[in-house]
Amino acid sequence: MFAWSLELAWLIVLLPFAAFALIGLFLHRWPRLSAYLSILAIGLSFGLSVLVAAHVFLGGMQETFEVSMRWLAMPGLNVDMGLLIDGLTAVMLIVVTSVALLVQIYSWGYMHGDPGFSSYYAYQSVFAGAMLGLVLANNFGQLFVFWELVGLASYLLIGFWFGRHSAKNAAVKAFITNRVGDFGLLLGILFLQIIFGTLNFSGLAAEVAGYTNTAILIVVSILLLAGPIGKSAQFPLHVWLPDAMEGPTPVSALIHAATMVAAGVYLIARAFFIFSATPEVMMLIAVIGGFTALFAATIALVQNDIKRILAYSTLSQLGYMVMAMGIGAMTAGMFHLMTHAFFKSLLFLAAGSVIHAIAGEQDIWKMGRLKDKMPITTWTFVIGALALAGIPPLSGFWSKDEILLGAFAGGYTGLYLLGTLVAFMTAFYMFRLIFVVFFGSGKGVEKAHESPPVMTIPLIILAVMAVIAGFVGSPLMDYAFARFVTYPGAVHYEASTMVIAISSLVAIAGIGLAWAIYQKEWINHLQMRERFSGIYTLLYNKYYIDELYHWLGQRFVYGTAKALFWFDIYVVNGLVNGLAALTGGAGKVLRYTETGQVQTYAAYMLAGVIVIVGLVVLAGFALLI
Amino acid sequence: MSWTLLSVEIALAALGSVLLMLGLLLPEKGRRVMQPVAVIALLGILILGGGLYTAQYSLFNGNYQIDPFGSFFKLLFVAAGILVILSAGRYLERFEERVNEFYSFMIFALLGMVVMASAGELITLYIGLELMTVSFYILTAYLLQDKLSAEAGLKYLILGALSSAILLFGISLVYAVTGTTVIADMAAQFSMQPVMIAGIILILTGFAFKISLVPFHMWAPDIYQGAPIPVTAFLAVGSKAAAFAAMVRVFVIAFPVSTFDWPLLLAILAAITIVVGNLIALVQTDIKRLLAYSSIAQAGYIIVGLVAYNTYGLKGVLFYAMLYVFSNMGAFAAATIVEVETGSTDIKAFNGLARRSPMVAAIMTVCMLSLAGIPPTAGFVGKFYLFSGAIQADYLWLAFVGLIMSMISVYYYLKVAKAMYIGTNDDVSAIKPGKAVGAALWVCLAGTLLFGLYPGPLSNLAQVAIQIFL
Amino acid sequence: MIGFQHYLLLATILFAVGIYGVLSKRNAVAVLMSIELMLNSVNLNFVAINRYIVTDQAVGQLFALIVIVVAAAEVAVGLALIISIFRQRKSVSLNDFNLLKW
Repeated sequence: MFAWSLELAWLIVLLPFAAFALIGLFLHRWPRLSAYLSILAIGLSFGLSVLVAAHVFLGGMQETFEVSMRWLAMPGLNVDMGLLIDGLTAVMLIVVTSVALLVQIYSWGYMHGDPGFSSYYAYQSVFAGAMLGLVLANNFGQLFVFWELVGLASYLLIGFWFGRHSAKNAAVKAFITNRVGDFGLLLGILFLQIIFGTLNFSGLAAEVAGYTNTAILIVVSILLLAGPIGKSAQFPLHVWLPDAMEGPTPVSALIHAATMVAAGVYLIARAFFIFSATPEVMMLIAVIGGFTALFAATIALVQNDIKRILAYSTLSQLGYMVMAMGIGAMTAGMFHLMTHAFFKSLLFLAAGSVIHAIAGEQDIWKMGRLKDKMPITTWTFVIGALALAGIPPLSGFWSKDEILLGAFAGGYTGLYLLGTLVAFMTAFYMFRLIFVVFFGSGKGVEKAHESPPVMTIPLIILAVMAVIAGFVGSPLMDYAFARFVTYPGAVHYEASTMVIAISSLVAIAGIGLAWAIYQKEWINHLQMRERFSGIYTLLYNKYYIDELYHWLGQRFVYGTAKALFWFDIYVVNGLVNGLAALTGGAGKVLRYTETGQVQTYAAYMLAGVIVIVGLVVLAGFALLI
Repeated sequence: MSWTLLSVEIALAALGSVLLMLGLLLPEKGRRVMQPVAVIALLGILILGGGLYTAQYSLFNGNYQIDPFGSFFKLLFVAAGILVILSAGRYLERFEERVNEFYSFMIFALLGMVVMASAGELITLYIGLELMTVSFYILTAYLLQDKLSAEAGLKYLILGALSSAILLFGISLVYAVTGTTVIADMAAQFSMQPVMIAGIILILTGFAFKISLVPFHMWAPDIYQGAPIPVTAFLAVGSKAAAFAAMVRVFVIAFPVSTFDWPLLLAILAAITIVVGNLIALVQTDIKRLLAYSSIAQAGYIIVGLVAYNTYGLKGVLFYAMLYVFSNMGAFAAATIVEVETGSTDIKAFNGLARRSPMVAAIMTVCMLSLAGIPPTAGFVGKFYLFSGAIQADYLWLAFVGLIMSMISVYYYLKVAKAMYIGTNDDVSAIKPGKAVGAALWVCLAGTLLFGLYPGPLSNLAQVAIQIFL
Repeated sequence: MIGFQHYLLLATILFAVGIYGVLSKRNAVAVLMSIELMLNSVNLNFVAINRYIVTDQAVGQLFALIVIVVAAAEVAVGLALIISIFRQRKSVSLNDFNLLKW
């Protein structure tokens, strides 16, 4: 069924890039046309992705589909460009194209009238193309190229309003922080090439299986892991993601919540055969993920900016996914990635709708009672929050449970308890946000109004997805998701009633506590803040991590830079200038060999012949002796 | 044997004659059709040549070879010819009523190159070479009223004829030893005698003159500077590539490396060429002279591939020769526009070009980056092939020299870019290149970027072409 | 008895004389003539080789004929060029042609 769609899969990547090229070259003066073209391209990509996914899931494709062509060949390194399609790819294709399509439609309303409308759509297209190229890559080389392109698109979009100082800084911060991770990833990829002689995923899988040098494998895995830690904003490289909220809200929804940040998780899944080969690295991944989940959730409890709360929630959920990878529940992690993409982009877009309605205000304490003015936004947001909190039978419930179940049944009791605690916090901070912004007792904002249909319709579609997307991995559908997205080494467990019951209860308890504090105000949150002011300040300031990095940067980076600067000015420059003067001088002298006299030229030629003959004769004598 | 195998050569000869006669028959105003006629006919010949790409026949007892190697260069020459004719643009107005003959001399020079690339025998090779060279004598001196052009023509004539005589003397010596002039039969008759070595060295000198290896390069800067700029462009990409084609065929097939280590000799010449060409280019102020020294250095790079004498190296020679057509023609097309507009070939004339015509400046920059070998342009991939070939063949020092000098070369290539983007000019009127020149520029840009981003297809073509040597 | 060696020697001497002419004569026409001398020495070589070494085919003689024809073409172009330059500059001395340098 639809087997032909696999042959056309390269179009999925190419269409957005073509849209980007056309907009960049010809259409930038026609913003509406640019947007139409961009949406059309991603729409076609979405259609093709649906066909591919239908073939993979409904058609029961068993083996993976792979095509490849040689892009660059040199001694010791062959880089291919290829497509790899299996269950994992198909899921990512659907997630990326559907969310990107909805976000681009939504942006039509959100970005309306912006002077950079065309470039916005051009960047969106390049992002979509790069992200799709990343998930379709069949080797690490290609993956890295698109990985960097995705980073570039993210940089451009975070700094989209480059007139704002904070947006510029945030873009630079995101780029530099990602560089740190990418450097490790690149080193890891180079090591793979050196050790195994190939970068192809299936080729590597075969090689790694027979490889016994655990120490080297651990080093390579940790280097590779640096990439996901940066891109998926895990501790300690998480600092860029909250700042990335300076970009337009649809960008935050697409790139910094649903898709790009999930690329790190995707990479771990794609290269699961390498990571799962060493239990030590798996433990490290699990701990990093679990720690990030808890750490970010605690910060989210006290933030006041609506987008920052969602950003820390994203960090926390990414931590969940990474933790799932670490405990071997790779399928559960990918499942959560998918459901999270839907409900988190829904939450961001709904938040964007709120921000759009009240003229760019992002402080939740300046909002209130928005449910009357913006019913669609309110109720879709509530659905998204319920899904995130893990209330059955919404999508987040099924995927989060899978992860907790994996931790519980796999014997990682500590991580299980941690996960449950985070689930409680998640429910609490999300509903703190909801009660304050949409319900609450505040006097409300006068001029608020519901957003236009071009923005609310994507919200409704995403809300539907947030409700139903979870069923594909539920026992109700016989764990269909797990049958298609799995690799050797990944574990999967049957649902346990106890885990389900506990996590549901915890989520409801979290909502209840938020209701008690922020809706009914039985407990005065301002007094609470006074009483625990030490913890509050610590959390509010995000554990002072940014300040710590700043201080470290000042001390070490600038110190080293000063020393290097001195070296550069006095030693390197001296050397370079000296050499430059030497080469320039040589050029000046040599040019005067060219006298303009034709017979001199002839003499040079004949002298050349004589010298060559002389050399050969001498060499001949040398051979004789 | 079928005549269709020679269709490219026949078509070129016919085209040259037809253009010559058209020029006589057409009234003054009607001659404007000659450019489109020439371009369309050459495009047809390009397709014809592409269709014959994989054909492999030995005609006239081995005197003439139809094989992918020759076909690769045929495509290269015809593509270069099209680009030269397109990019000449308004410069042709300077030729006044003799412009029709200009086209036919171009086509005859092209035919000479084609014969050189396919010649399987030294006499045939010599005829092709002379057809090309004599046409170029005339083309170089085409602006007779211009002192520089006439002087360049005379210099080229004297030095060119001298080099032909040296080449011929070498051929006669090799003929004396082997008793044949058919390239394919020579290796069997090869015997290590002083006469033979002398012959090889003289033949090498003849080719080295054409591809301007130091110290046989002295003609190039003067002739490049003096000749009309479209002719300079054609000399730089066409004449040089033809000499490469002939040289590779003769040396690889006829002279076995096991008896006489000519690659070592060439390696020394290549190293000197790369160093001297780049160093003198550093201090040039005239764009044509700068490009002349740059092309000397580039010839040194290409020879590295022949020195390497392995798959990578030979593939690199073909790959580089092809990308060089696009990158260098882009640079020359931009220089033509500037010369037509400002009447000057000084680099200062490029000042402020980025504001006067952003497109021309951008394409010129990309071409310059490609010549300097900076990724993701084609020049990088080409140098990569050449130098990895050299490293494989244990000529590490040569690759090292090449890399160092490539780095130095970035300076003078970017000097032009600097003039265009940072330099200021009193004249800020917009420059509008004509449609034909614009098309040539876009083709050059496309070639330079495409071969850099996706070298696969061209690399495969080159691979097929060098199969005849393996 | 005059043999192959003598022809070869004569050809080499002619070639060397030609080179001397190219390097020392200042008149462009004389330089062209010297180059003709070099080409003729090559012709002599070819014919002699054909006569003494490779006797079964007439390749060498053919080559000599072709060289004569090509040389004639070259000289025709060369003289035309020199004449038009002479009209322009009233000089055919190579010393005067050094506008292009450095």
